[in-house]
Amino acid sequence: MKLAKGILFCLAITATFGFSSLVDDPIPFKKFGYTPQQAAARLLDRFSFGAKPGQVEAVVSMGLENWLEQQFAAKQPNIALEKRLSNFKSLLLSNDTIVNTYLNAGQVIRLATRKGIINRDSIKGDPKEYREQVRVIMEQEGYKPILELHRELVNQKVLSAAYSNNQLQEVLTDFWFNHFNVSVTKNQCQQYVYTYERDAIRPNVMGKFKDLLLATAQHPAMLEYLDNASSVSIKNQPRANMAAPRNARGLNENYAREVMELHTLGVDGGYTQADVTTVAKALTGWTVMPLAKDAPARNLLERLNPTQLERRGFVLKGDFLFRADQHDNEPKTILNKNFPANGGYQEGIDVLTMLAEHPSTAKFICTKLATRFVSDTPSASLIKNMVKTFQSTDGDIKAVLRTMVYDPTFWKKSVSHEKVKSPFEMVISAVRATNAQVIQPFQLFNWCTKMGQRFYYYQAPTGFPDRASNWINTGALLNRMNFGLAFASQKIPGVRMDLAALNNYHEPESAIDALTVYSNILLPQRDHAANIKRLIPLVNDDAVEEKISKAATVDKTAEQMTLDKGTKNMLSQVVGIIIGSPEFQRK
Amino acid sequence: MSSRRAFMRSGAMALFATGIAGGIPAFITRAAAAGMPPAPYKKNKVLVCIFQRGAMDGLMAVTPFTDMELKKARPTLFMDPTNGAGKLFDLDGQFGLHPSFASLQPFFADKRLAIAHGVGSPNTTRSHFDAQDYMESGTPFSKSTSSGWLNRAVGLMGHDASPFRAVSITGALPRSLYGSQEALAISNLADFALQTKGNPIAANLTAGSFEELYEQTSNRLLNRAGKESFEALKMLNVNDIKNYQPVAGVVYPNSPLGNSLKQIAVLIKMNIGLEVAFAESGGWDTHFNQGTLNGVFARNVRDFSDSIAAFWNDMSGYQDGVTVMTMTEFGRTVAQNGTGGTDHGRASCSFILGNDVQGGKVYQQIGSLAKDQLEDQRDLPVTTDFRSVFSGVANKHLNINNNGILFPKWEGKALEIIR
Repeated sequence: MKLAKGILFCLAITATFGFSSLVDDPIPFKKFGYTPQQAAARLLDRFSFGAKPGQVEAVVSMGLENWLEQQFAAKQPNIALEKRLSNFKSLLLSNDTIVNTYLNAGQVIRLATRKGIINRDSIKGDPKEYREQVRVIMEQEGYKPILELHRELVNQKVLSAAYSNNQLQEVLTDFWFNHFNVSVTKNQCQQYVYTYERDAIRPNVMGKFKDLLLATAQHPAMLEYLDNASSVSIKNQPRANMAAPRNARGLNENYAREVMELHTLGVDGGYTQADVTTVAKALTGWTVMPLAKDAPARNLLERLNPTQLERRGFVLKGDFLFRADQHDNEPKTILNKNFPANGGYQEGIDVLTMLAEHPSTAKFICTKLATRFVSDTPSASLIKNMVKTFQSTDGDIKAVLRTMVYDPTFWKKSVSHEKVKSPFEMVISAVRATNAQVIQPFQLFNWCTKMGQRFYYYQAPTGFPDRASNWINTGALLNRMNFGLAFASQKIPGVRMDLAALNNYHEPESAIDALTVYSNILLPQRDHAANIKRLIPLVNDDAVEEKISKAATVDKTAEQMTLDKGTKNMLSQVVGIIIGSPEFQRK
Repeated sequence: MSSRRAFMRSGAMALFATGIAGGIPAFITRAAAAGMPPAPYKKNKVLVCIFQRGAMDGLMAVTPFTDMELKKARPTLFMDPTNGAGKLFDLDGQFGLHPSFASLQPFFADKRLAIAHGVGSPNTTRSHFDAQDYMESGTPFSKSTSSGWLNRAVGLMGHDASPFRAVSITGALPRSLYGSQEALAISNLADFALQTKGNPIAANLTAGSFEELYEQTSNRLLNRAGKESFEALKMLNVNDIKNYQPVAGVVYPNSPLGNSLKQIAVLIKMNIGLEVAFAESGGWDTHFNQGTLNGVFARNVRDFSDSIAAFWNDMSGYQDGVTVMTMTEFGRTVAQNGTGGTDHGRASCSFILGNDVQGGKVYQQIGSLAKDQLEDQRDLPVTTDFRSVFSGVANKHLNINNNGILFPKWEGKALEIIR
């Protein structure tokens, strides 16, 4: 660590300065016995996906307060990340293009029917042959398999988390996506998941909570995931005497219920079943602009000009469509507040705004934030202070987070390193701590899946539970250890690192030396004495390196193994153990 | 518990050495040497659940062949026991089993296989996603139930916390097992090991280091889970899994379901505390060309039937403690569609296999399939709530008696299907 300090300091002074802290007092870490380095490490643990080598010193040099404001501003240039993402095909696409390029299962069937691959007479059919025919047709027509879209979705998340200089923005994107969860496991919404993160979540993660709520409420992904897109007022249905169509439609309460239970008020937030039904009615007609080229409604709507739409009470905002003809026009009472008849589109906005501003929401959201950033059981006084800020700033997320960091309870020793990293956090922190080069991000997704976090595929609208006990169990833990070993020994395809470079190519004198040096590089500013002491009898065998080296040379490749290889083995072994160790699972 | 822990903790390093050398599981040899019973867990009952993703056509699997309305609605898909495109197994003069169930049919004949028909959810959604979600959470009108019904079942049993108490042979944990009880999702049991191939000394060093580190961590959760992981590692000998030989004559289909059930069989025979196992079977969304005697549906059924039959025969000597139950999110339209298939419908059927099952019977209250008798004039109505079937099995087989927790806000009655 000492060796690296000089270089790191040089790096640090090139960092951007000039943030005037919005809070007069410094972050109160000193009172709790933290050195600036320890406090910086703690901030990096919680507000980034992990410290990169040397980053603790850099944060100390620029000042913790300034670093925090820089992260809140989220305006750091990201040239390296942009370069990594430059080959991605789907990142800038609109929903319209995606829907008409990356076909979902239903569209594939319609296409196949149109092209005569499937027809009513051919009872016999070989699924393999059919799949091949579909593949050819899709290629000819310029369509792409939706799995390509999913792959880019996953890969961009891994790369952004690992390499973005606006770390807090990525951490919060992860947090808010999970809060307003949607899932690619649902056919109807899978094409929209990426634009959901890109357009509804990421730009709003540090703004006003209300904006985030409205952006998610009107995005096709959420409208489809929780079925509001197909929720229509029964009253306005003129065809009561007709046989129910294939997709008989009526009121669907899913979104109305979850928006209160999971997104705003919380389950004990003081609403009734009648409120659920009435909110659902207020949101009838909130749907998605039909985007598929072969959707009949699309042609119909495209023929109407904006004035005609407006005259009919329709609202088109991006891909969100308010259909006045499917909206319930009756007067309503929600949470004891009256909404007069014929409220139209604005009624839904008013209802969601009321939910965003409700005191239960302030408490629910602040508790969830504190649970993510402080501890699984945050203190009541911290929540109280955060709620106060939430309410006085119209739900300003940045202000609430600032209150949290400047609150003494954030710095209590009892909560330091008490959060267990999610698999994604763990994997990305390993990449960052080792300056690893990720060429095949999907490999890391596969590891996260093994450890219990198949992100973007979580089925329930609750999102992944933010509790250590959810992540830590036998199978998952074993996979964390295996990840550490595979990662450090470079057995994960497309993930490369130079472990010796982390220590400026100084060869450690012994396994113990390596353990000490690399513990400090990978987990800066933590107390490793006990760990190292405990491992001495295991590692401090004079012959161990030789043994490992020897064992390595027993390889079927008969070529001469140098000591170099032995050291390399030893290093990856030691780093693998550190990454798989309990200390590395904590943040 | 304490004796198990003590017994498990002895000689960590030596154990890893034996683990690598292969052969008889270390814990068995050591237990034998110490005069202890070889199985660290008392033999619990095991429930094996198979989810048929995609919605199985219950009317083709188990056909009410005497109803001529069905023949009318399915001109090219209808089969009966005597003629038509294929020949069904006549179960009771009213219902016929698809011919591809040949390997399971004998269990119906000897009264160990029961079928519940007309099963489904009171929530009328015809979305795979929503219906699976509701069925697995066990709360058909609440999306935000964070736990799955099988996880709650494990909690209600309240037995010794074996790390292998609830295991899903899938890549990710299924919704049914979400929740506070520990549940393991693993697609291949052979992966359950520390992966340090080809370097035994490094492997021992690594295993020892990890164990030391987890033993001393101040985080209680990591400490406990670490301890359990190392115990689990010692319990599960990867070589035993790789070299597993089923009972003579049993051949599992080389299919995802066949492989899953084979792994479940290994876990059961290892006596390591398995109580709930979960596996999946796919390909049931037969919108087009589902076929009759042959075709997609018949192929799926054959794999499904042969996998379960192989598992059951492999369970010879263990069958008294095991029940298999199948489930699917909904059924399919009574009428065939324009592409030789069927679309999303309502009720389907469920198979329950076990020695204490009151089998040889189709549990059903299915009425006429005339169009005006159908749900929305198109679908087989749900006459048995899926929770009746699930709780019927869980209550008797797993001895769980709190349906209020198992299926919150449900006041229906459990189906009497197990002795």
